[in-house]
Amino acid sequence: MRVLMLGMNHRTAPVELRERLALSGAALDDAIDRFRALYPLCEFVALSTCNRTEFYLARPVHEPPSFAELTDFLVALHGVDRGVLQAATIHRENDQAVAQLFRVACGLESMVLGEPQILGQVKRAYEQAALRQAVGPVLHRVFQQAIALAKQVRHSTGIDHGRVSVGSVACDFARQIFQRFDDKTVLAIGAGEMAKLTLRHLAKLRPGKLWLTNRTLARATALAQQLGLTADLGGARSFDDLDNLLIEADIVLTSTAAVEPIITARQFKRLLRRRRSRPLFIVDIAVPRDVEPEVGTLSNIYLYNIDDLQRVVAQTHEDRTGQVEQANAMVLQAMRACMTEIQNRDIGKLIRALRQKLHDVGEAELQRTTRKLAALSQAQLQAALPELLEEHTHRVLNKILHLPLSQLDRSAADPERSGLGFHAAALRRLFALEEEGNLQEGVGSRETEVRSQEAEVSSQRRKA
Amino acid sequence: MSNLPTTIALGILTLLSVTATIIAWRSLRPSQQGKASHRVTMSLLGTVTTGSAVLFVIRWWAGGRWAPLDAHVDGLLLIAALLGVLTLFLRSRAHLPGLTTFALPLISFVLLWGICASQWTFHGFHIISVWSSLHLASVYVGTALFVIAAVAGVMYLYAERRLRSHSGAMPAQRVGSLEAIEKLIIRTSAIGFALLTVALITGFVMWSTEAQKLAPGWWYSRKIVLALVAWLIYAVVMNVRHTTAFRGSRAAWLSIIGLVLLLGVWMVSVSLPLTAAPAGLKSPTPAGTAYARRESP
Repeated sequence: MRVLMLGMNHRTAPVELRERLALSGAALDDAIDRFRALYPLCEFVALSTCNRTEFYLARPVHEPPSFAELTDFLVALHGVDRGVLQAATIHRENDQAVAQLFRVACGLESMVLGEPQILGQVKRAYEQAALRQAVGPVLHRVFQQAIALAKQVRHSTGIDHGRVSVGSVACDFARQIFQRFDDKTVLAIGAGEMAKLTLRHLAKLRPGKLWLTNRTLARATALAQQLGLTADLGGARSFDDLDNLLIEADIVLTSTAAVEPIITARQFKRLLRRRRSRPLFIVDIAVPRDVEPEVGTLSNIYLYNIDDLQRVVAQTHEDRTGQVEQANAMVLQAMRACMTEIQNRDIGKLIRALRQKLHDVGEAELQRTTRKLAALSQAQLQAALPELLEEHTHRVLNKILHLPLSQLDRSAADPERSGLGFHAAALRRLFALEEEGNLQEGVGSRETEVRSQEAEVSSQRRKA
Repeated sequence: MSNLPTTIALGILTLLSVTATIIAWRSLRPSQQGKASHRVTMSLLGTVTTGSAVLFVIRWWAGGRWAPLDAHVDGLLLIAALLGVLTLFLRSRAHLPGLTTFALPLISFVLLWGICASQWTFHGFHIISVWSSLHLASVYVGTALFVIAAVAGVMYLYAERRLRSHSGAMPAQRVGSLEAIEKLIIRTSAIGFALLTVALITGFVMWSTEAQKLAPGWWYSRKIVLALVAWLIYAVVMNVRHTTAFRGSRAAWLSIIGLVLLLGVWMVSVSLPLTAAPAGLKSPTPAGTAYARRESP
């Protein structure tokens, strides 16, 4: 079997093209069904995420589709210009295709190195294809190994450790301070894009209340609506109410465009007593800063600015890059093991088929010889038996050798293209024959010998 | 029961505990992945806890007495076993991955102390009443809880320091969130305080039943005064925590100071002269009190 991969990702295709080629739900099912209808002997898995659309297939060596046919399939599926598609796609074969899947599953091909979501997406793609009976023994093996390897790589290298966005780092710091969030209040001061992005992360913590405040209340209200905040979960509050909000809050996110700090140590000291020493986590992602640094020195106040958060992000990137080499080595090792397994499986099938074929030849000749023997009387049998046995042996031998020897087509104009050298070398190796220097002569003499034997048998048959 | 087997067993347990401590502290470093070392640490802690409990029961059974505490070494074994059980329980239930790391040094210390108490500073109890038994049990169990509170206090200060350093390391993944640690401090201190109260009451009952042995100024002896001071501090702290005094790093510091104070009370009580009457006592310590000493077997 041959394993192929054709696809595109964030490195090879712009987002507009990736959007057009993305497959999900019913569209993915439809693509699998259409592919299976076209190529029923193929195993097929389509992996489609926001960053990549990749088709993995396993097919018999001499069966379609080729990469060109796969591209045609994609063109027909999405109605995309063939030239554009060809420029954006990558294709891999056998060990390279398997290695590509392994690297994808491990997050080594992800936009954010080592991100964990891709493993779930690979699993879902595999399961969806398996549900539609599109996965056979080869892709079962390859995908199961990819999933196992991805877990192993993450466990051994820690490539998915750490956080890679300011919002997720803020969430991690919040988790270091608070154990639960359903009784906590989050306050966001400012309603800009950064606030929105970070709040999306903080909202995942499911806080009891999430208040938004801004000098322009309408903007805070609009952001609250965008975040889907209902009245019982929080909403927009007037900026004049800031002191009360600071007393109420457990987590404060500030991201205003103010040129002067909006929260000062002096102002905050007044509020501390009313806060009853409750810990407060302040994330100041504004530049210039919204919170005076002295606030962070107050008891039970934990203040982080954008530099603190970005330092963690940079550290994570650095750590992950350091793990890539180890992960690549694991991928290479697993890929080799997987390919060996696939090849062994193929060889096993080949051996079984060869044995069956030779057995059929032997069986046919045995029946023929038995028929002949049955037609003879006892006296004739005595005389003809050695000749019949010899004929039987020659016929079996010729039938077996006919196809391999016919591959040694010495009349071909281009010996390299005809595969003469390859087949000769294979025969020499398989039957432990003489050195290469005597090859042509050796092959020729053997062929002559076989042909003379064939001629002899034919003449004897005619005589008989 | 002969003390040599106890000392040998305690020595083995201490070695295991120290090994677990070293592994646990190594896994606290950010560069460590720690899953394998975590399993080893937990296995060793489980072994040490079980070993301490088994040794405690064997000593009780071998002593052939109704009360489990025959000597100070039994109390230390009880504390070590309780610390181990509490650590394993809280580690699994309270999202406090670092508790093992911080509790193990103290368990090692208690076991090491047990070796001394078993071999060189043997300190036997003559328990003749339920009151003295109750007194000792509440003192030891209460102390185990205060030790946990103090361990949590150290954890809190460590995690807070890491957070304030803005180093980017993520101590919560290895220690626990400040809120979880604070809850642990408050809960263990509250239960420990209740047991300390029981210890004080039973102590007074013991003395009042033997009033004839008390000198006129017994109530201001060093032990009584310090025990009362420790109790009062805890009483104040536990009752004002809702008014913010027992919050955050203050709670952490107070839990550590409280343990130090309790250890101080204990040291004063055991350092009282043997033959002369301690301040407040008319005569040498009577056999009926909990702290009468006897010779090591």
